[in-house]
Amino acid sequence: MPKATRGVLIECDPSIKALIVNIDSSQHNIILDELDDTHLMIHPSMVEVVKQKLNKMLAENTYNPNEEAAKATGK
Amino acid sequence: MTSQFKNSINDYLEGLPEAVLTRLYQSPATCLAVFRLLPALARTLIMGMIFNPDPIAVADVDALVKPSSQRLKLETQKKLRLLHIFTETQAHIIINPTFKKNLRAALVGGDQNISFGVPCDTEDKHKVDVAFLDAHAVSQWEMILHFMVGTSIGRTPSDGVLNLLKHSGLMEPERGGLRITNAGFQFLLQDVNAQIWTLLLQYLNMSEYLQMDPVDVLNFIFMLGSLELGQDYSLSALSETQKHMLEDLRDYGIVYQRKASSRRFYPTRLATTLTSETAALRTASQSMEAATQDTISSSVAADSGFIILETNFRLYAYTESPLQIAVLNLFVNLKTRFANMVTGQINRDSVRFALSNGITAEQIITYLSVHAHPRMKGMEHVLPPTVVDQIKLWQLEMDRIRATDGYLFSEFKNFDEYKDVSTYAKELGVLLYENPGKRKFVSTLAGSQQIVEFVKRRNQKHRSSAN
Repeated sequence: MPKATRGVLIECDPSIKALIVNIDSSQHNIILDELDDTHLMIHPSMVEVVKQKLNKMLAENTYNPNEEAAKATGK
Repeated sequence: MTSQFKNSINDYLEGLPEAVLTRLYQSPATCLAVFRLLPALARTLIMGMIFNPDPIAVADVDALVKPSSQRLKLETQKKLRLLHIFTETQAHIIINPTFKKNLRAALVGGDQNISFGVPCDTEDKHKVDVAFLDAHAVSQWEMILHFMVGTSIGRTPSDGVLNLLKHSGLMEPERGGLRITNAGFQFLLQDVNAQIWTLLLQYLNMSEYLQMDPVDVLNFIFMLGSLELGQDYSLSALSETQKHMLEDLRDYGIVYQRKASSRRFYPTRLATTLTSETAALRTASQSMEAATQDTISSSVAADSGFIILETNFRLYAYTESPLQIAVLNLFVNLKTRFANMVTGQINRDSVRFALSNGITAEQIITYLSVHAHPRMKGMEHVLPPTVVDQIKLWQLEMDRIRATDGYLFSEFKNFDEYKDVSTYAKELGVLLYENPGKRKFVSTLAGSQQIVEFVKRRNQKHRSSAN
């Protein structure tokens, strides 16, 4: 008898998937199933958490010329 | 709030009950306006039918449409059904008789009707010309826009306008005054035609509270769309509701009356372009240009571009209009302001801020290219492609993941079972994702119940056949 699990299907790039796996690695309470490189099944209650954490991680990884300029003048 | 802007007049009409629509279709001017608002295929189908006394067989309609455009045809039919223009039986399509009769009346004339307005038969002692009407429309309309961004140009719009802005959520009350909302900023980015429709739709919604008959209101709006610019029309053919509306429309600059007690009114260009296609394609500046300098050649009109955008995302805008600066401030990080120009930079944060307010990358790009400086318009690409691409990428970045609720089906006994069940899900159209290699698939929430039933039935059958 096949098993049916309630969850949320996430479609994303492989790079984003790697980030989600990274978020999951601390507590293992997010990912239900890693389907393939671009698809994941995650816990329904964790969608917002994942989105927030992703946004934070992506913001850290962007270059912001304004901040750079502010820092330079601050010195 | 975002959706309200996509809420075109078509959507509004589709939402009306049949009884109201049938009453609307009693006016030939309204039928013609509805017809003009429909997509091309819908118009073709209607034209094929209105002069035919009998219902049309479904097969004949199919013959009119290329097999490759079946989807478009289905969408069109759905739209016409929602507008209660088409009624479909098993083999025939019946066109609404009221609509048919009055659209015919509008197209070929004949019946004496007043739905297209009644021109004044007496000479106006204070006759006004088209240039005056255009200037009047622009000054009224810009007054509203200026008021929205908080730049006073000496006059405030009337209470009716303020009420409408508040009611539509474009502005909200704050400390005794009014403050523009996010929706209001999106509104500013639209072209004038879309802006007018947005306000008129809000007016329609509000008219229900004021116990005005929506049929009267709509008929009047559609009638305005078919009037002739520069012609004066008599008030005598209007109902009480419509006379009341006239006062409000005067405040928006859609019609002109010399005095409130005047027995005649002039439609302005804002009114006469309401249902025409050409106006809908115009952007804010172009419509205004068309409205202000209709006779001047387009080369002069093109000079109004004021934005220079460099490949390094720097932006220089040669403008002192608070309206334009306020709009730019939506998605540009403005840095310095000079007497005749402002400079700023487009960056991730400024664009993301705009995107989170519901403004789309497409809207930003359109705005920039329409208002590009003539020097930029001469180039191969009006805007630097790097900047355009980056703005689009920033939008994509906003939603890096797509999430859909569903059920994961796994642990199938063998591939046959997987194959059967996943095929069934595919046929139901509830399959979101499948991975045959791992024997796993994901269905939508709604479809899961049916799949579970199917698995149970299938297992029973197998057990009984095994016995």
